[in-house]
Amino acid sequence: METKIGIFLCNCGEAIRNIDFAATKEEVAQIPGVSCVNLSSNLCLKEGKEKMISCIKEENIEKVVVAACSPEFKEHIFRQVLEDAGLNGHLFSTANIREQCSWVHDGDVTGKAVELIKMAVNRARLLQPVEKKKFAVNREVLVVGGGFAAINAALQLSRVGLRTTLLEREAILGSETAELGSLCGFDISSMMSEVEGDENIEILTSAEVTAAAGKIGDFTVRIRKGGDEASHKYGAVVLATGYQTKLALESELKSDVNIVSQKKLCRMLENPNLEIRPRTIGFMFDFSDENSRLPTLATLNNALAAKQKWDSEIYVFCKSLKVDGPGAEKLYREARDCGVVFLKCEARPRITAGNGRVKIEAKDVFLGEDTILACDLLVAEELLLPSEGTEALSSLLNIRRDSRGFYQDENVHLYPVASEKKGIFFVGGCRGDLDLSRVLTDVSSVVVSVYELLSSGNILAEVERVKVDPQKCVACLTCIRVCPHDAIQLVRVDGGKEVAEVFDLACDACGICAAMCPAKAITFQGYRDEEILAQVETIEES
Amino acid sequence: MNSCIVAFCCEHSAYPAADLAGKLKLHCPESLRIIRVPCAGRVDVIHILKAFENGAVAVLVLGCEDGACHHITGNTRAKERVKYCNMLLKEIEADGRHVAMFNLSPNEPHKFVRAVNEITKRIKESGR
Repeated sequence: METKIGIFLCNCGEAIRNIDFAATKEEVAQIPGVSCVNLSSNLCLKEGKEKMISCIKEENIEKVVVAACSPEFKEHIFRQVLEDAGLNGHLFSTANIREQCSWVHDGDVTGKAVELIKMAVNRARLLQPVEKKKFAVNREVLVVGGGFAAINAALQLSRVGLRTTLLEREAILGSETAELGSLCGFDISSMMSEVEGDENIEILTSAEVTAAAGKIGDFTVRIRKGGDEASHKYGAVVLATGYQTKLALESELKSDVNIVSQKKLCRMLENPNLEIRPRTIGFMFDFSDENSRLPTLATLNNALAAKQKWDSEIYVFCKSLKVDGPGAEKLYREARDCGVVFLKCEARPRITAGNGRVKIEAKDVFLGEDTILACDLLVAEELLLPSEGTEALSSLLNIRRDSRGFYQDENVHLYPVASEKKGIFFVGGCRGDLDLSRVLTDVSSVVVSVYELLSSGNILAEVERVKVDPQKCVACLTCIRVCPHDAIQLVRVDGGKEVAEVFDLACDACGICAAMCPAKAITFQGYRDEEILAQVETIEES
Repeated sequence: MNSCIVAFCCEHSAYPAADLAGKLKLHCPESLRIIRVPCAGRVDVIHILKAFENGAVAVLVLGCEDGACHHITGNTRAKERVKYCNMLLKEIEADGRHVAMFNLSPNEPHKFVRAVNEITKRIKESGR
């Protein structure tokens, strides 16, 4: 018996004017398999949905085609309507007769609308249901790192009731953060005591990850601590491994005592017993690459502090001053009001050192003249790099890094803190140069995402939307190699044969594997070859 | 004679771009038939060839920008397949330029229309 297909036409509250709906209705009713055609003007509103549900039930419709606006906006609404009417949400196809037909063409487009509906009907005829199932997940979270971002993430995760393990490579937590604390004006000690006193947080110091396997909800991570190595299970992994800085200087200048890093300057400023008092200080940044958000903030903060404490003359050499952090503009104005001099140079200044002074030669673009400055202290330019071990950890977890070596941050299509592998997240400096307020935003987004995934202990997901046919699979590993989300693995089935299997939770339904499989063993419900070709073949009929 | 242009549109970039083209009332040839796919990487050689077999004059595969594919490698894989189809078409002495891949972002409706116009131009040049 042929499947009964119901077509629901909608004129979107008269927003579709150049289609003759009466003629369309008559014509699409002739398509084989179509049992009823309904015309509405408000299908996505309450009364429209109610009418749709009652019609599906009365006519015993098995597959639904909606010819209305773009599925980008309303697909989820109509899928829900189908579920409410007792049908599977996947037995649904749309014909986009508004944006991609009525609005994009002039004149009467009834013919094209009928064509598009035919395409949708031919696809709908082949659709198969996709069931949903609850998958149990582990509710523990691993946070790798021991800095500001990691500690905050652990504290917030524990606050929402998720058990968290904080894994730090160094012997103590927050060794770098303590210095940052005095610079940025937050109290690290209260944060540390809170994290140490939290029953929900397990702290592993001098520990490192040696192997990782598994998928979202069930990661197995081998952790080496001291001489012991043990496997632990986690539901999600948060990476907060931070960044490191490197002086961008010629090697012969690196040993000069009068050339320092921002961090060294902070230490000098904090040291009450410091005997020298630099009278002239030069700062340099933004000549090596464009990523100078953090150096800018550090320079402004340190310049102000040095002005207050030592009353030094301060000159800042930079290509551009990027004050995009909250409060940075104010800081810049304050620095200028205090008498800090900013010089804009296109080319990197020439630096020579000797006799306890550092000579900076630069060409200021506004003055148009060569400027020569002899200073007591030069705070050199620093490069921001991912921290040591980022490469090793990313290859263990099999996640990509961007061109600068940080965790993937350039793809606009991905949620900034999420990796392409579900269940692995990044926060803070390990994904680029972020100031503290941005790090806190990161932490909040990650906590919300992790909570959403793990809080209830199980995840509702579609089962076998993408499926490998074990009979056809020859275990050539193509799908495992091409899957961008690392969602396919080899399993042994009855009879000892090894075949590929898609892990439903980790799958993001892209269909790359289905296109690549040489044995055509992979089917992707909704976008099977038959379903795509049914649409392609419709054009011949016209 | 049928003169359809079949466009396989990635639902993360080209499909929203096509929608936006509609909202902005940009003009597209009426012979355009858009098929929505979850990723340009889902489009297989057989889909492109079947479109020609069924009378399409040109096939477009539209995916995300390089380095910004929602599924990381989908657009580059699609590009490889399109190149392969170019070669197959040339082999049977058809115009290989009638199948093309373009990259665009979801907020680039003008680029979508340009891609369609470009392929229309190619069709005219080859005299069909």
